[in-house]
Amino acid sequence: MVPKRRGPKLTGVARAGLIWIALAILACAMIPLLFGLHSNLTDVANAYAAPSWHHPLGTDGLGRDEMTRLLIGGRVTLAVGAVAAAVAMCIGTIYGALAGFYGGLIDGLLMRLVDVFMSIPTLFLLLFLAALFKGNLITLMIVIGATSWLNPARLVRGEVLTLKERLYVEAARAVGADDARIIFRHVVPNAFGTVVTTTTFMVATAMLAETALSYLGIGVRAPMPSWGNLLSSAQSDLFAGAWWLILPPGLAILLTVCALNFVGDWLRDSRDAGMVGG
Amino acid sequence: MTTFVLRRLLQAIPTLIGVGIIAFVLLHIAPGGPAIALAGENAAPARVAQISHELGLDKPPLTQLYIWFSGLLHGDLGYSYQRQASVGSLIAQRLPQTLLLMGSALLVSILIAVPLGVVQAARRNTAFDRIASIAVFVAWSMPTFWFGTLLIAIFAVSLRWFPVGGLQTIDTASFDWPTRIAHLLLPAATLAIISVAGWSRYIRGSMIEQLREDYARTAIAKGLAPRAVLFRHVLRNALIPFITILGTSLPALFGGAIITEQIFAYPGMGQLFWQSATDRDFSTLLGMTMITGALVVLGNLLADVLYGVVDPRVRYD
Repeated sequence: MVPKRRGPKLTGVARAGLIWIALAILACAMIPLLFGLHSNLTDVANAYAAPSWHHPLGTDGLGRDEMTRLLIGGRVTLAVGAVAAAVAMCIGTIYGALAGFYGGLIDGLLMRLVDVFMSIPTLFLLLFLAALFKGNLITLMIVIGATSWLNPARLVRGEVLTLKERLYVEAARAVGADDARIIFRHVVPNAFGTVVTTTTFMVATAMLAETALSYLGIGVRAPMPSWGNLLSSAQSDLFAGAWWLILPPGLAILLTVCALNFVGDWLRDSRDAGMVGG
Repeated sequence: MTTFVLRRLLQAIPTLIGVGIIAFVLLHIAPGGPAIALAGENAAPARVAQISHELGLDKPPLTQLYIWFSGLLHGDLGYSYQRQASVGSLIAQRLPQTLLLMGSALLVSILIAVPLGVVQAARRNTAFDRIASIAVFVAWSMPTFWFGTLLIAIFAVSLRWFPVGGLQTIDTASFDWPTRIAHLLLPAATLAIISVAGWSRYIRGSMIEQLREDYARTAIAKGLAPRAVLFRHVLRNALIPFITILGTSLPALFGGAIITEQIFAYPGMGQLFWQSATDRDFSTLLGMTMITGALVVLGNLLADVLYGVVDPRVRYD
């Protein structure tokens, strides 16, 4: 009897998550272009203006339009999340695939190194590196990516450990494929499900890392807006009575990270269900 | 058992050496080392060279590593030139505060996560379960410092139930438990939010798994009250693997402490680490990374041993 394979049914929250992510990307990418918005236009006469028709989300202490800064900041934060996750997944996938495929002593050594890195809190490493390589957005993305590859590496290794025993690996070897070809053309593509699911969670984690670093003053640097530094500067603006600045960036981060986690959870569940069915 | 503990302790040594090497390498690939930080960005090269020589920074890296490690074996964590104090004494001042904060956060997380997970598992796929799951995801997705600030805004500024920050009120000279606890509650709640989400998910999953086991079905079939089955039989088994999760959550707690201590001006390890990173106080950073690594390794070891105590089926051979 062939068990019926349960298709990946889209749950309500996962659908809402996908729609939110798509909307957020579209809005941040397109609206500033369409309206020709600039995030750093100051208008000191209009500092700390409450939300109005002209400034839907009000203005900050320099009279900059909060709506514009939120949209441009979204570009920055989403880009940091995506690029950092890509960096982490590249390192993690290659590392995990090598450890899982070769096994034995190599696996032992590589995984001991992961254990060592795991004994150091990620935020310690992030602070270390971010303080050492003060600088631009690109370094921030690489630093966040370089500190979050441990979990992907472990997950990919686990997957590769079982995949390398499959018949198609033996077949590929029989026709004379070398290790590199087997790993990257046969084994890794078959671990794609794990990689995609993990990437979704990594983007969420990287966005929260950006927020945390911006709060500690070593993330995205002013005047460039990001959801993280908009949120952390909104905390001090609160003392100036500007209550309208605190919710938009906070909700933007919360909803996007939540959406990514819902989608990731759904991907993982539907993959597990698919595996049970064969 | 004793041999198991000894073997795990031996295994911890290479891990700790690894932590030391990583921290050391990271610090030495830094553009502009401690000498520049002490002498100032625009100091004369001769002055920088002199400071380098005094700190032993002109020796080859391997020699420095050796000197540092041999100091470590004699219980010497190094000397902070920025703070004019030995790193060991700096950490000794801060560590108890952070351990207290982390312990309270652990307690808060367990008190919320375990009951929540149990009730969710008992009533799985009901409206309560779904709403609780979404709430848990929201908590998980929240930037820690935002949550902390919201707590301050609500409970400290508006309601004035708890103090805004610090360790205890300045006018109380002596150690006073009630004020200490009042100062601890909001930071502990903030730090706890990181783990509550993951843990309640874990308890829920592991309870559902145990409820499907034969022994649970037998207990229900023989007419035991559902509550008794849930708490006396199922929860006990579901909590066993949870011990490992507690052990592995230490690094995240230490990391979270950096943010939490920053929000509440709480004088602990996290605050010291952040200050040292901004001052480029490398010897303190190195010493703190080492101590944290040791505590994390120790925590995992403790979790492994506890696992065996709680579950006698585990064999150490």
